Amino acid sequence: MSVFYNNFSRHAHGEGLKGHTTHYCAGCGHGVAHRDLAAVIDELALQDRVILVSPVGCAVFAHYYFNVGNTQAAHGRAPAVALGHKLAHPNAVVICYQGDGDLASIGLAETLSLAQMGLPITVIFINNAIYGMTGGQLAPTTLMGQKTTTSPEGRTLAMGQPLKMAELIATLDGPVYVERVALYDARQRRIARQAIKHALTLQQEGRGYAFIEILSECPTHLKLSPTESEKWVKEKMEPIYPLGVKKNKTGEPWFHPAPPRYIPEEILGLCGAERTRSAPPPCPWPAQLTARDLSFKFAGAGGDGAQTAALLLTRAAIEQGFDATNIPSYGPESRGGTSYADVHLAADEVLNPAAPEPDILIAFNSPSLAKFAPTVVTGGIILYDCTVIPAPRDLPANRRIFAVPFTQLARELGSPLVKNMVALGALQAVTELLPPLAILETMRHLLKDRPTWQPVNAAAFAAGQKAITLIAPDGR
Amino acid sequence: MSPRPRPFLEPEYCKSCLRCIEACPRACITPGTVINPETGLIPVELHLENCNGCGLCMAACPEPFGLRPTTESFASVLDFELEDPAALFGPKIVPNYSEGDEPDETIPLPPCEPLVLKGSYASAIGALLAGCRHVFGYPITPSTEASELMAKILPKIGGHFIQAVSETAAVNMMYGAGGAGVPCITFTSGPGFSLMLEGISYMIGAEVPGVFVNLMRGGPGLGNLGPEQADIKLACRGLGHGNTHALVLAPSTPQEMLELTRQAFELSFLYRNPVVVLGDGYLGQMTGIVKLPAEMKRVGLPAWAVSGDRAHRHNLICSIELSEDDLEAHNRKLNDKYAYISAHEQRADCYRCADARQLVVACNTPARMAKGAIEDARALGYKAGLFRPITLWPFPIAALTTLLPHIDQLIIVEGSPGQLEDELRLALSHAGISPPPITHVRHYGGVLPSQEEILDCIRENTGGPV
Ligand code: SF4
Ligand code: SF4
Ligand code: SF4
Repeated sequence: MSVFYNNFSRHAHGEGLKGHTTHYCAGCGHGVAHRDLAAVIDELALQDRVILVSPVGCAVFAHYYFNVGNTQAAHGRAPAVALGHKLAHPNAVVICYQGDGDLASIGLAETLSLAQMGLPITVIFINNAIYGMTGGQLAPTTLMGQKTTTSPEGRTLAMGQPLKMAELIATLDGPVYVERVALYDARQRRIARQAIKHALTLQQEGRGYAFIEILSECPTHLKLSPTESEKWVKEKMEPIYPLGVKKNKTGEPWFHPAPPRYIPEEILGLCGAERTRSAPPPCPWPAQLTARDLSFKFAGAGGDGAQTAALLLTRAAIEQGFDATNIPSYGPESRGGTSYADVHLAADEVLNPAAPEPDILIAFNSPSLAKFAPTVVTGGIILYDCTVIPAPRDLPANRRIFAVPFTQLARELGSPLVKNMVALGALQAVTELLPPLAILETMRHLLKDRPTWQPVNAAAFAAGQKAITLIAPDGR
Repeated sequence: MSPRPRPFLEPEYCKSCLRCIEACPRACITPGTVINPETGLIPVELHLENCNGCGLCMAACPEPFGLRPTTESFASVLDFELEDPAALFGPKIVPNYSEGDEPDETIPLPPCEPLVLKGSYASAIGALLAGCRHVFGYPITPSTEASELMAKILPKIGGHFIQAVSETAAVNMMYGAGGAGVPCITFTSGPGFSLMLEGISYMIGAEVPGVFVNLMRGGPGLGNLGPEQADIKLACRGLGHGNTHALVLAPSTPQEMLELTRQAFELSFLYRNPVVVLGDGYLGQMTGIVKLPAEMKRVGLPAWAVSGDRAHRHNLICSIELSEDDLEAHNRKLNDKYAYISAHEQRADCYRCADARQLVVACNTPARMAKGAIEDARALGYKAGLFRPITLWPFPIAALTTLLPHIDQLIIVEGSPGQLEDELRLALSHAGISPPPITHVRHYGGVLPSQEEILDCIRENTGGPV
C-alpha cells in the first residue's frame, strides 16, 4: 500500500522495528482504521491531494505512517485546522482524524460548527469509549458503569451519559452523510471501508461534509485481549451506539470557491480609493488662528449625527491638505447613551488626537452640554442646539457661546436628520476654518450615490451658516 | 498462484494481537509457538493450503506491514516470483517534490487620493494589499470593524472571511491556512487574544506564519472598552506555553496600522513565525489620513506548505517532537531565529531626540500624546525628545543606546502598569547598560496618559529649562 511510507522515518528516525511497526498497542483499532483509510485513499487515487489533520490522542503520530500532506493539530482543534486547509486549497481532500476526547469533549464546539458549515471535509471519529493517550480516563463516550481511572466505581449519571456523536451530528443541517461503523468482524470492517470511501468521494466531488464514527478497540485500557475487545465493542458498545447510516442527503456538488483575485482597480474600488484628482488649490491655514492645531468635541445622543458631523469635518480638512483625526466613542455606550467624538485639525501634523479639553464644543443635547462645556478651554467656543436646550444652566464663563436651533432649522427643512449639517454650517460661520464650500463638497462627494439627499443637506448647511449671523453670542 | 493474492507476513512486524485468526474463515492462521528473537513476541503462523486469498485477514490486521498481499512483496518471502514491478504496476511514479518557493508577485498600484480611514479599516486594507485573502475572527470591540470590512470585501475577490465559533477556533483556522502556505490574519482585542495564545504557541512551534492584530482594551477580565496597553506583557513575554517569541509591531497612527500590517505579513513569512500588530483601542477606532502604497502583492506558495498537491506531499506541519534531543535541537533553532530577529528587526522612531536631555519613551497612541507634550515642553525651553519603539519585541535597544549618553532622565509613558517599562528595563539589563534615572506616567483601566500629565512630568523631572 503506497499510501503508507515505506519506512516510518518520522518514528524515532525509523530505526529498527520502528521503521515498519506502528506505535499503537497490539490489536488497537486505530491500526485497522489506518489500513482502511490508506486502502481507500489508494483506491480513489487521492494520495497527492489528501491532507490528513491528526489530533491529540493516540493518533497524534498519524503523520509517521501516511504518505500524504500532514498537519498535526492542537487538542480538539482539528476541525478548525481542517477548515483552514480546505479554504486555503479547496482542491485538497482534507481528512480530520480524531478520537473521542478530542472530538467529543475538548473540541465539541469546533466539531459542531464545522459540521454545520457543511464544507466538503471528511471527519473520521474513532470512538473507543476511553482516553487512550493519557492512560484510560473517562471519555464523553464511556459507557454507563464502565470503570476508568477517573470513574473508578464506574460511570454514574452525574458524570453525564454517553454522548452519541453520530446521532447528534445527523441532527444538524450541514452534513450530507453520517454513518457509524465498527471494526469488530470482517463484515463490519468491509462496511467501514465502504463508508470511508463514500465519505471521501463526497468530498472529492464537492458535495459536502461527511462524518464517519468508528467504534474501535482499545485493548490496553479495556484491560482485555484484542479479540475480547472486539467482542466487547460488539456486545457492550454497539447496543448503546447502534451502527448504520444516520443521515444521507447527498445533493449536487456545490463547493467550488472562486480563486483569489489580485486586480488593482477592483481592490482599490472596494477599499473606497479614488484615482488622484487634479491637485486641489493649496489651502492656507486660517490666518486668524494662532494655534497650529485645533481640537473639537462633537457630543450628543446616539442618532443625533454627532459622529457623522465629526467625520465630515475630518474628511473635509484632509481634503484641504490639513492633517486631521477623529476618535469616536464606541462600544455599548455609543448605543443609546452619550455619543461623542474627538476631532483634531492641524496645519502640519496632529500630535495628540484626544480632546479632553477641546477648543470647540458642538453639543446636541443637554447632558452633553452639561458634561463637556466645563472642559472647553478658556476662550474656546461652545455651539449648542437651543431647540432642545432652551435654558442651559451653569455655562462656564470666558467662553464664546452660540445658541443655534439645530433641530428647529432642520425640521423647517422637513428633515430632522440634517441637524448635524445645520451644526456644521454654524461652525463654519463661527470659525471660518475651511473654505466656505469645503464641507459641502465633501458632503456631496460622500453622497454621490444618493444625489436626492444632497439639496436638503446643502440647505441645512446654509441655514446653519445664516443662523449664526442672526443669533448674538451669548456674552456672559 | 491464486488469482487473488494470499497474505504473507514478515514475523517481526506481527504484534501477536490475533485479530487475523478470528478473521480467517478457512482457519489458515494459528497462534504462533516460537518467540521472535527481535520482538520478543510470538507471531502468528500461516498455513495457506486452504487459503483462497479472500483478504479478510489483511483487513483485520492493524499493522501496515503486518499481513499484506504477496503483490506487495517484491523481494520477499513465500511463493512470490520475482517480477519487474513496472510490468505489474506500470512505471514508478516519481514524486515531483517542490524544490523551492513559488515566488510572490508585486503588482503596481495607480496613484490614489489619500483615504480617510479608521485604524481598523486601514489595517484590513493593509492585509488585502499584502495579498491576504483568508481572515478568521470572532467579533470583539474595538477590533470588529476590520472583520466587518473583510466580510464585505473578501467574498468579492475570491477570499474567505470566517466568523469562527470562538477565538480558539479562529487561531486554529489560521494554523491550518497558514500551514497551507497562505497569508492570513485575525483582528482581536485582549480577551480574544488570551484565547488565541495556545494556538499561537502551536504556530510558533510548527513555524506557521500568521498576523494577529490586537487592539488592546481595558482589563483584566472583561474590563472595559477603553484604550489600554496592558497586553504588552502577553505579546512580548507570554505567547502561550513554551519557548515562544514573535515580532511585536506597535503602530501609532491609522497610516501605520496599514503599513505595519503589510510589513507584518512579509516578516511573518520571512521568519515562518506569527507576527503581532499591537495597538490600543483608539488605534482601531481613530480616523485619520491614510496614503496607499504604490504596490500590492499576489502571493506565491512556499515550498514547505501543506497544500494538498504532489509537489508538497512530503510536508508536515507539526509541533510534537517526542525525542528530547530532537526537541532541544528544535528549540535551539527557534532561539537562533529569535536572536537573528533581535539583531536585525529592531525599529524605532526618534522625535527631537538629537539634543534631548529628557527622553520620553512611549508607543501607540500615548506616543502621540507624548509628541504634543514634547512640543509644549520645547516651547517652554525644555530639551525633551520622544523615543518611540515600533518593535516592542525585539525592543529597539540599539537605537536607544546611542541616545543615552546625553539623556538625564527617562520618562516612560504608557497605558499599562509598567509593561513597556519592564521591556525597556529588561533590554537595558541584557545590554549591560546602567540607565539614567527612570520615572513614568501611567494610566490603566481604559485611560491613556494625557498630554498635560506628560508635560508636568517633564517639568518636574528636570532642573528647569536648559
Ligand atoms: S492506548 Fe488504546 S487507543 Fe491508544 S494505542 Fe493503545 S490500544 Fe490504541
Ligand atoms: S486470505 Fe482469506 S483465506 Fe487466506 S489466510 Fe487470509 S483470511 Fe484466510
Ligand atoms: S492481525 Fe497482524 S499483528 Fe495481529 S496477529 Fe495477525 S498478523 Fe499479527
